[in-house]
Amino acid sequence: MVPPAASPAPQPTGLERLLAEVINPGLCVACGACLGLCPHLIFLDGQVAAPDACGLTSGRCYGFCPVAQRDVSRESQGPIGPVLGAWQGRATSKDLQGRVQYGGVVSELLALALDQSMVREAVVTAAGLRGTPQGIRVTERTGVLGAAGSVYAGGGALSSLNQALSEDSNHPLAVVGLPCQVQAVQAMKAHPQQPQAARRIHLVIGLFCTMNLPWRGLRKLLARHGVQAPLSRADFPPPPAGIFQAWSNGSYHELPLDQVRALSYPGCAGCPDLTSDGADLSVGACEGKPGWNTILARTHAGAGLLELAAGKGLLELEPAQPASMEHLTQAASDKRKRATAWSEERRHG
Amino acid sequence: MADVSKLAPGQKVLMQGNEAIARGALEAGVSLAAAYPGNPSSEILQTLADSARSAGIYVEWSTNEKVALESAAAASYAGLRGMASMKQNGVNVAQDFICNLTISGTKGGLVLVTCDDPSGVSSTNEQDARFIARVACLPLLEPATPAECLKLTKLAFELSEQIGNLVVLRGLARLSHTRAGVTPGPLPEAKPRPHWDPNERWFTIPVVPRHQVMLDKLAQAGELIAAAGVNYYDGPVRPELLVIASGSSRLYADEARRLVGAGGRVGILHMGATWPLDQELILEHLARADKILFAEEVDPHIESGVKSIYAQHVRELGLKDFYGQETGHKPPIGELSPSRVAAAMADILGLPWQETDPAYLAKAKAAQALVAPRQVGFCPGCPHRASYWSMKQVLSADGREGIVSGDIGCYTMGVLPTGYERVNAVHCMGSGPGIASGLGKLRSQGFEQPVISVVGDSTFFHAALPALVNARWNNSDYVLVVLDNSATAMTGFQPHPGTGSTAMGQAGTAVDVEQICAGLGLPYTVLDPYDLEATQEALYDALQIGGGLRVLIFRRTCALVQNKRGGHPWRMSVDPQLCRGEDCGCDRFCTRVFRCPGLVFDQATGKTVLDEVVCVGCGVCAQICPAGAIKARPKEATA
Ligand SMILES: Cc1cc2nc3c(=O)[nH]c(=O)nc-3n(C[C@H](O)[C@H](O)[C@H](O)COP(=O)(O)OP(=O)(O)OC[C@H]3O[C@@H](n4cnc5c(N)ncnc54)[C@H](O)[C@@H]3O)c2cc1C
Ligand code: SF4
Ligand code: SF4
Ligand code: SF4
Ligand code: SF4
Repeated sequence: MVPPAASPAPQPTGLERLLAEVINPGLCVACGACLGLCPHLIFLDGQVAAPDACGLTSGRCYGFCPVAQRDVSRESQGPIGPVLGAWQGRATSKDLQGRVQYGGVVSELLALALDQSMVREAVVTAAGLRGTPQGIRVTERTGVLGAAGSVYAGGGALSSLNQALSEDSNHPLAVVGLPCQVQAVQAMKAHPQQPQAARRIHLVIGLFCTMNLPWRGLRKLLARHGVQAPLSRADFPPPPAGIFQAWSNGSYHELPLDQVRALSYPGCAGCPDLTSDGADLSVGACEGKPGWNTILARTHAGAGLLELAAGKGLLELEPAQPASMEHLTQAASDKRKRATAWSEERRHG
Repeated sequence: MADVSKLAPGQKVLMQGNEAIARGALEAGVSLAAAYPGNPSSEILQTLADSARSAGIYVEWSTNEKVALESAAAASYAGLRGMASMKQNGVNVAQDFICNLTISGTKGGLVLVTCDDPSGVSSTNEQDARFIARVACLPLLEPATPAECLKLTKLAFELSEQIGNLVVLRGLARLSHTRAGVTPGPLPEAKPRPHWDPNERWFTIPVVPRHQVMLDKLAQAGELIAAAGVNYYDGPVRPELLVIASGSSRLYADEARRLVGAGGRVGILHMGATWPLDQELILEHLARADKILFAEEVDPHIESGVKSIYAQHVRELGLKDFYGQETGHKPPIGELSPSRVAAAMADILGLPWQETDPAYLAKAKAAQALVAPRQVGFCPGCPHRASYWSMKQVLSADGREGIVSGDIGCYTMGVLPTGYERVNAVHCMGSGPGIASGLGKLRSQGFEQPVISVVGDSTFFHAALPALVNARWNNSDYVLVVLDNSATAMTGFQPHPGTGSTAMGQAGTAVDVEQICAGLGLPYTVLDPYDLEATQEALYDALQIGGGLRVLIFRRTCALVQNKRGGHPWRMSVDPQLCRGEDCGCDRFCTRVFRCPGLVFDQATGKTVLDEVVCVGCGVCAQICPAGAIKARPKEATA
């Protein structure tokens, strides 16, 4: 006689599963969504660790993790997601020059949102004293400018967002993040155990991203090339440059791109999103226009903030060039395809 | 401990075995006693230290057992009597000296006391230190009661002086701490003035003829022991079963004989001296019994000796049945007990034997269920908990599967859950840095795991120094963490070189760990393990640097010592509004993971509460609570 099939036990959705699916296989991309919630997950020198077991079978860490929750089959609205308006632009203010990554649009918009009290606090990423990227919480323009520029390493900044959300206060928050972080913020907002996220996160500025680097690996590679951390600035110049540029202690260095790329998080290979499709505004480099940004306004809040900035003369804006949008769409579509292929291979291989 | 030099001769008093050994040494006129603390032997030296002033003798805690015996030997060469006491492990430390000393010989009476710990109740092993008597050809005395402790200690000094060699007295954990009636004898009137006759020289060459001298001394000791009457028989003239026993097992055998109701059938040969074995006495008793059972702890020391005597005399003795370790009638491991011996006797004699009344057993089981399960753990506020916490956090964050090489002290408990099972290996005093030193030299062959060696402050001086010099010399790559709690806490807070005080309570010269590190050219940083963030940052950095031996000194007074010195600064409380209990965001982190016994999870409210009786107020837990629910306020200044 065949015994009646027992109903399958519900799959655990806590730390244990996060470890099994993401951290132990080395797929964590250090977004920080699982950090700052509880003492079980720690972040030191750019890396997530879980020294002890958590006794719970379900929890937020797993629910927030963009690698665990990644669904490559989910079709967003085209390769670059929903777009209300596509622009190219840059900040006009002189005090941003030399500090921002390209056009300074991200920093200027954030500073404006704080100035206007649209939000009262923002979570950004900046290099610490020794160059280790980390999340920091800023409340005014000087803080925003202190964190300007790209750090090409995972900084776990969403830890600071979780920390802010756990505090007994109600002020609205902004966050700047990579596509994985933007996805995690969406998961936070939808999570039943995190009601304050939807209530308090009022502005999400997403960055474009093809890959990120683990800080420890990058530091070692830099050291091998005789470059001391911290870096004052770094960039991936557009193809066919084939290099990674690093400025440290007033001197300039070039590292071969393939060596840097080889370091990138294995977890980035499965990421389908180039342009942070869940953000209010997404910002990246502008093809053929150094010192400018490409800007995608995705929500009315995002478009409104952009308009306000332009109206105040803080940003110089032009409609995005069709050719560069075409290239961006192609690049985004390629990233989705690569991620799908990678996920397929993992599932079967 | 009490000043046992003040006891009135002839008046029976209750004494611990260890105190009785101390009194015996005083009665024998010991002038220099030295030891390294170690359970179950520690009280011998402490008792002597507390009696030293009135007895006018010198007593010291030495840096290790070898040094202790060497100091005691110095007294012997100066014509005085000396004694070194230690636990079984210590005999290994002293062994190199012993094996040479036995060839060079001694002058004034010199006694080595080893207190063995069958079952390893407070030890890392349950080694039977009687091996040293065979290895080094030394007379070995084994008392069974505190009264015998006193008597045989005195005999040991006499014997040593008569044969000119070291004599070993072996105690056991049960005996060391058992109290029984002892009648002290008189103390010596006067002692000789120390003097080393420059014509007297003590060394081991020429080795072969001196080896013969050593054997002759042992043979002489055999005659003296036989004459001393410390071995005696008690039982019927022709027993059905002869038990040959030593130490506490003699008492167990006596009790077992009553328990199985075989009084008239069983005789006991009490062996107060078990090396050399009294061959004549043994042959006499083998001739009168056909079945022989051995009762001794832990190794078959008497068993193998008697069997080899029998092998030489098998024609005249005829066939005999021997029962002991080889037949499973004496366990090869663990302590003996009356019931274990009784079970063996009953089996041999075909008697019924029930270990315990089943009704009683049932009651005991029921009672056991009422006792809360308890784990061995660090005390509330123990700095080692904080230290292991930081090591656990940092090694996990480091992510390269770091190894912790452990050592001997309270912090050995790093192997247990209380130390987050963070320690990967523990052996003997000083072996931690030695193992770390070897690991740190495997880098060139691809060993990439970081290595931490933890040593306590007392262990640092005892046996870590040669390993550190080795690591420095050979450029081994590891991090030494000195867990400096300014105490030899495990064994009862004896002073050590770093504390600067001495056994007799006088000021010594404090030996500074930092200066030693500096002298070795080792970079070092002193940290307060209670400050988790600073400690973890420094440890992480130390692990990243690599390249050679570097030292972190985690310095914080033992919580128990601190309690006696005015306590800790904080009054703790848990805010139930802030405590997250079992929710996602904590899940009882403090009581489930950190586990200081000062914090208790209250099932009824689902919140953590502070046990104010247990908490000492170290303030560490406030740093690990994710919700800021554990509050530390300064204790009010007491009026
Ligand atoms: C890892 C990484 C990869 C990127 N890859 C691409 C790419 O492939 N193509 C492309 O067009 N653009 C990419 N960008 C975005 C680009 O570097 C700029 O951040 C973006 O164009 C905005 O420029 P800006 O001048 O407005 O920036 P700024 O005004 O200088 O502001 C930069 C903002 O980025 C945030 N930030 C810096 N480092 C990090 C980090 N590690 N994680 C999260 N946030 C961070 C800072 O908090 C700051 O608010 C990447 C950025 C990062 C950090
Ligand atoms: S407490 Fe919650 S967030 Fe923390 S590890 Fe457990 S389930 Fe994850
Ligand atoms: S990817 Fe983000 S959420 Fe997932 S484990 Fe890493 S840091 Fe945590
Ligand atoms: S760690 Fe803090 S929040 Fe968690 S159970 Fe303990 S007291 Fe409560
Ligand atoms: S303060 Fe906290 S860690 Fe220290 S003894 Fe009290 S409960 Fe334990």
